[in-house]
Amino acid sequence: MSLESLTTYIVNRLPELWLRTGEHIMLTGFSTGTAILIGIPLGIIIFRNAWLRAPVMAVIGILQTIPSLAMLVFLLALLQKIGALPALIALTLYALLPIVRNTLTGLKGVSPQVIEAATGIGMTKYQRLKLVRIPLAASVIIAGIRTAAVVGVGIATLSAFIGAGGLGQFINRGLALYDTKLILLGAVPTALLALIVDFSIGAFEWGFRPERKKDKKGLVKSLVRPLALMMPLLLIMTAGILSYFTRPLSGIQTEAVSKTSTRTIRIATKNFTEQLILGEIMAQLIEARTDLFVERYFNLGGTMICHNALVHGQIDLYAEYIGTGLTVILKYPVISDPEEALSQVREAYKKRFNARWLKPFGFNNTYAITVRTADAKSYGWTRISDIQKAAPRLRAGFTAEFTERPDGYPGLRQIYGLRFGEIRDLDPAIMYEAVSKGEVDVICAFVTDGRIAAYNLKSLEDDRQFFPPYHAAPVIRGEILEEHKKLRDVLALLEGLLDNATMQSLNFKVDGKGYSPAQVAGAFLKSQGLL
Amino acid sequence: MIRLIHVSKSFDGGRSYAVKDLSFQVNDGEILVLLGSSGCGKTTTLKMVNRLIEPTEGIIEVNGKNVMEQAPVALRRRIGYVFQGIGLFPHMTIEKNVALIPSLMGWPLQKIQERVRELLELVDLPPEDYAKRFPDELSGGQQQRVGLARALAADPAYLLMDEPLGALDALTRDILQQKLLDIKKQLKKTIIFVTHDIFEALLIGDRIAILHKGHLQQIGTKEEVLSAPATEFVHDLFAKPARQLADFKDIL
Repeated sequence: MSLESLTTYIVNRLPELWLRTGEHIMLTGFSTGTAILIGIPLGIIIFRNAWLRAPVMAVIGILQTIPSLAMLVFLLALLQKIGALPALIALTLYALLPIVRNTLTGLKGVSPQVIEAATGIGMTKYQRLKLVRIPLAASVIIAGIRTAAVVGVGIATLSAFIGAGGLGQFINRGLALYDTKLILLGAVPTALLALIVDFSIGAFEWGFRPERKKDKKGLVKSLVRPLALMMPLLLIMTAGILSYFTRPLSGIQTEAVSKTSTRTIRIATKNFTEQLILGEIMAQLIEARTDLFVERYFNLGGTMICHNALVHGQIDLYAEYIGTGLTVILKYPVISDPEEALSQVREAYKKRFNARWLKPFGFNNTYAITVRTADAKSYGWTRISDIQKAAPRLRAGFTAEFTERPDGYPGLRQIYGLRFGEIRDLDPAIMYEAVSKGEVDVICAFVTDGRIAAYNLKSLEDDRQFFPPYHAAPVIRGEILEEHKKLRDVLALLEGLLDNATMQSLNFKVDGKGYSPAQVAGAFLKSQGLL
Repeated sequence: MIRLIHVSKSFDGGRSYAVKDLSFQVNDGEILVLLGSSGCGKTTTLKMVNRLIEPTEGIIEVNGKNVMEQAPVALRRRIGYVFQGIGLFPHMTIEKNVALIPSLMGWPLQKIQERVRELLELVDLPPEDYAKRFPDELSGGQQQRVGLARALAADPAYLLMDEPLGALDALTRDILQQKLLDIKKQLKKTIIFVTHDIFEALLIGDRIAILHKGHLQQIGTKEEVLSAPATEFVHDLFAKPARQLADFKDIL
């Protein structure tokens, strides 16, 4: 990419970049701040009660070893809330370890001679702690805070998975769209931010240190010191100002997710291209045909996150696939008839979740067991049954979800007796390339993905009708539909509009040609005369 | 007056004693030197006076009252303490170090400031130069003067000094010994001074108590201990430096 187009690329995204940076600093700042308020007193308490040290440090240590994503999803399930709160809690828990440990180490590290002197001249236990131990431990404690904050900047990128915003949104979106530029747009500012945070806390520590008489004096120096002391505060204030002024540019909020006016509709998507396009299509149509304000909660990290958010009223609308609703969410057995399947999920969703399935978009994005065309030709594979014998010699690349879903590999093994030699978990964004390059031999492609054709792949026929129908349809909260009856009619405009070929070409425009989902959705709606 | 009555201290539940059956008395306005080699129990004895260590047996009286019946914090504030390793607070200026106990005792600010000035002048550290410095910006001798000033801050009647000059070079030590004698004359404190240096003991002590392996060998004025050593240990203790001194004179 030329320098010029790179500049335009960044300039176009500058407002959002500021917003995300602001959110990112707020996430890190609030969580580190909370961890300081909890961690330092906790460190002092376990210093004074030695018997508490081992259990407390063990618990905090274990928290640290939980993978960040698992922690986020666990908190999500526990709080039944997407957005900033679970992210803040997770980040706070991670920040605790360095702060508590350094507080303890710092307090223990004070020379026993100094403590004996403090005792000997008649200081009470509390005075020794307050006037001697804590001040002498301060630099070690601040070093712990510094570690916590810098690590926090990194972990905060994962908060985007649960709709908490931050620079991770770019990374997430970049991963979903397999777009390196977008990933870098999130990763580079994150790295810079980590350096800035490190520097500003370092400056604070320097400003905090008592001034020596031998230190050179001067007007500049005497100004720099208080300024250095203020650095972390300045950083957080900058972030506050940034997010305050950039907020109206985007509907996504970091705080107070549930506080939304009745004139707002919150649309979510999962984290892959087709979902992003469907989300944009619904969003742009609603923006054009109603006076509702759309908030986009795009790129949430999976089916369960979207579903839980919908059930708990954190989002109002997203596109779901019938087969997924049936097997993953309702845990019903597989039903092959699309009509029958739809009426089953419709009824169950209405009763159990007060959510409505609207008219399907038309296409059936089923899974397709897919191989390289060359292999299919040379071995004469056309149906899934054909690869049963070869399976133990084949390497399969499946999405993590597919490996576990009842309508995925477990069912496939049962119905077709497939036993692949090796199963690798692959991100949906990279599995097509992986199979075309020969890194794996079989993938669980999505039928509507444009890359099946683009990478010269061949989908095998589901000759035993194993996969349930995966027609996508808007799923909306019942209350919202009651409140804005127009939505039913507006979304009905999309009924049957997207057949498999159309969806495949739209997907390929994003994955293969590098358009943004918003551009593709807009162009499509215009071509249909809907915009 | 400080009195020790049959005081013993064991750190291992009675198997061995750091100090055994020690009895002596320090009169008001007197410097008593506890003299002995390292491990003889002199620092242990000193720390029992202000309850940094508590005696296993026996009674210690300060001001006529058993120390075990006095609140430790209040007791320690009435007794100045100069530490072997100086023990200044590295994060506080000289001024703050000296002012610490008076301010914890709630003295009015102005009185504290006056007191700090007075004490720094007393130990020959002009406040305008030294008040705002940190301990690590001072030499060992200067730090020890601050240690002395801090011990005197709340104007205690008693002073415990644990080898305060041990780590200093001979010249600085000589100057500080003279200073200490001056201060003693001016302030009339009751002082227990611990040292392993025989010449220091002879120079400073009104009386000298010689300890060996936790037992008191002899207590008396320098004339008494020199002219009539009570035990063979005391005799040998002074005989060797006397011989060295004679040799030194011969060389000259």
